[in-house]
Amino acid sequence: MIIESHDFVLAKMTAGVTTSTICLCTVFIVLFNVYVDSQDTDAQLCQMCEGTVRQDSPVWDFCLTKGHIRGRCCFRNNTSNVDTIIGLDLANCSISHIEHLYNSSTAFIIDLSNNPISNLSDFIFQGFSHLTQLLLPSKLECPGGNASWEKVEVKNNAKICQGQTNICNQTVQMPWDCPENSFCSPYGPGFFECSCLHNFHGYKCLRQGEFPIVKVLGILTGSTVVVSSLLWFTQRRKVKNT
Amino acid sequence: MWPPYTYHHLLAFLLTFLSYVLLHSSRKTFSNVKVSISAQWTPSAFQQNGSTSSLSPGETWEENKLFADMGEATLFLGALDSIFLFSYAVGLYISGVIGDRFNLRYVLSFGLCGSAVTEFVFGTLTEWLQFYNVYFYCFLWVINGLLQSTVWPCVVAIMGNWFGKSGRGFVFGLWSACASVGNILGAFLASSVLKYGYEYAFLVTSVVQFAGGVVVFFGLLTSPKEIGLSDYSETSLRPVTRDTDSQRPLISDDEDELCDEYSIQQRDEEPEPQPKAIGFLQAFCLPGVIPYSLAYACLKLVNYSFFFWLPFYLSKNFGWKEVQADRLSVWYDVGGIVGGTVQGLISDLLGKRAPVLAISLLLAMGALVGYSHSPNNQLVNGALLATTGFLIGGPSNMISSAISADLGRQEALATVTGIVDGTGSIGAAGGQYLVSLIESKLGWMCVFYFFIIMTGCSILFIIPLIYCEIRSLCRDSQARTHQL
Repeated sequence: MIIESHDFVLAKMTAGVTTSTICLCTVFIVLFNVYVDSQDTDAQLCQMCEGTVRQDSPVWDFCLTKGHIRGRCCFRNNTSNVDTIIGLDLANCSISHIEHLYNSSTAFIIDLSNNPISNLSDFIFQGFSHLTQLLLPSKLECPGGNASWEKVEVKNNAKICQGQTNICNQTVQMPWDCPENSFCSPYGPGFFECSCLHNFHGYKCLRQGEFPIVKVLGILTGSTVVVSSLLWFTQRRKVKNT
Repeated sequence: MWPPYTYHHLLAFLLTFLSYVLLHSSRKTFSNVKVSISAQWTPSAFQQNGSTSSLSPGETWEENKLFADMGEATLFLGALDSIFLFSYAVGLYISGVIGDRFNLRYVLSFGLCGSAVTEFVFGTLTEWLQFYNVYFYCFLWVINGLLQSTVWPCVVAIMGNWFGKSGRGFVFGLWSACASVGNILGAFLASSVLKYGYEYAFLVTSVVQFAGGVVVFFGLLTSPKEIGLSDYSETSLRPVTRDTDSQRPLISDDEDELCDEYSIQQRDEEPEPQPKAIGFLQAFCLPGVIPYSLAYACLKLVNYSFFFWLPFYLSKNFGWKEVQADRLSVWYDVGGIVGGTVQGLISDLLGKRAPVLAISLLLAMGALVGYSHSPNNQLVNGALLATTGFLIGGPSNMISSAISADLGRQEALATVTGIVDGTGSIGAAGGQYLVSLIESKLGWMCVFYFFIIMTGCSILFIIPLIYCEIRSLCRDSQARTHQL
């Protein structure tokens, strides 16, 4: 009997170990894929076109002092591990359609000129709050319209949109306001976002401050114990069991 | 003249008072955070150049799409109220019977603690886990209704054990302030904690309620007999007017048989032996139970509609902030407290309850008309609210407490309380959804007309009782003049 149960326990243990190793492996594989995917998107964007940033593009001039070049992207010189794109050069790449510009929302300068793009959705540039210079094929309009940019000119068969205007400051063009407890901040050419004011947080910025949960629960527990024991001594101890 | 009340009586009064206060304060919390909850469940309605577009960042403004807009969320909240009241009504019928058979203290603390846990899961846990689900909310609220229904019959029965027939109207009137005090406390708690997030309002009220359940378990004596004092409901102490009973044989030949049935307050002439709890149907057929139950159904509808929807009405109609509206709705409850006490005292001195109710309800219809035309002025609105509360809350408190205790006598206190309040809750439940329906289709003015009609109906149901009691009042005063 004892030997049987011993075998049984052993079998259960091995089963348990096997299942946990399988689970761990799956987790690792998934994580690895996620990591590779994220690297991929970066790599995808920067390898979208052959070669590296062209020397005659304004991206090159920008990148000389601010960062280092890898593929068609310009990455910021910083000590942390995360590589943020600050410049993107996709000119002359025979790109006809762009869905999304992935992780380049931190870019300061993007060059998309000399591409057979027929139209460009404004929403691609939503979130590009740092974008100061954008070069597009000359037929296209600047995202957000001419009012969203300080200077719009056409030079060398490319439309240059320069200097985003702060949409929050333009009272003439704003028939709306950010909801309560939030303030407007620019979020790309022609876009804005409403961020919560200081001390407000949560969904729709409805919540304010930190609730002192420990203090409240402590006081309540303490007073409950005191009152219950007091009442028990004065009341229920005198109960006659009939 | 006053029966010898000890400090045990005071403690029983305070503990039962506290139980119901905590219950009502958690209910009030739910109704006071309705605006915040519906904001949490819906995405932002953002209009830009005539077309709706979404705000960024999406996590802050658009993420929760449990309901498409505030209108749908409001309808669901109205449905939740109805669900709660229906399950509360069903629970009342059951809990009254249970309370009469088992230990009142156990049933009471179980109900308080269980309901506290349910409310915590409903409001706080779902928010912390970001789990929003319509069916889950409905399920929790049904459980909450069933658990909360254990409280009222038990507390009225315990009060009935401690406080006998004489002076009962006044004591119960003072005591039934517990509902209004609970509303005030709930409103105060909700408005102080709401800025941290509605989940903390639920957290505070449910923890306090749980603590109350614990205190009640350790400290409550359900009846004077538990510590050897005599049971006052057996003694036949009567107020001054009852001395005329000795004249009764002279005039009883003219007495109507119908009115004999309804003379609920003149039965305590001989102390009864300790009876066992009677069945549900027997309790239902006790005299006066059915008319008062039906009248209470109409009255509770109006009372609860004010209770549930007032802050919402104030903030939507006048544009006042939710916190301001909550503070103002306190005046209705203040009126209710004063009304219950004053009317209880008058009915004690008179020896009759129905005429007092009738007059108050007639005046209440006028008050409702006045309130529906209230100007956009917080002071005037508050005064009108207090008046309406006095005239509607007063009868409501009396029927649900003192009159239920009168009707149930000793063996069926909890059962009869359960029946009266259960019927009242069914009426209130049906009314809740009706109110939100009428409001969305016809506007707030029609809601007020609906309230006026309901108040009129409640007077209709107790007309036989009013008739009998006025008759016996006239008879008594005739007998007194005869005596002289």
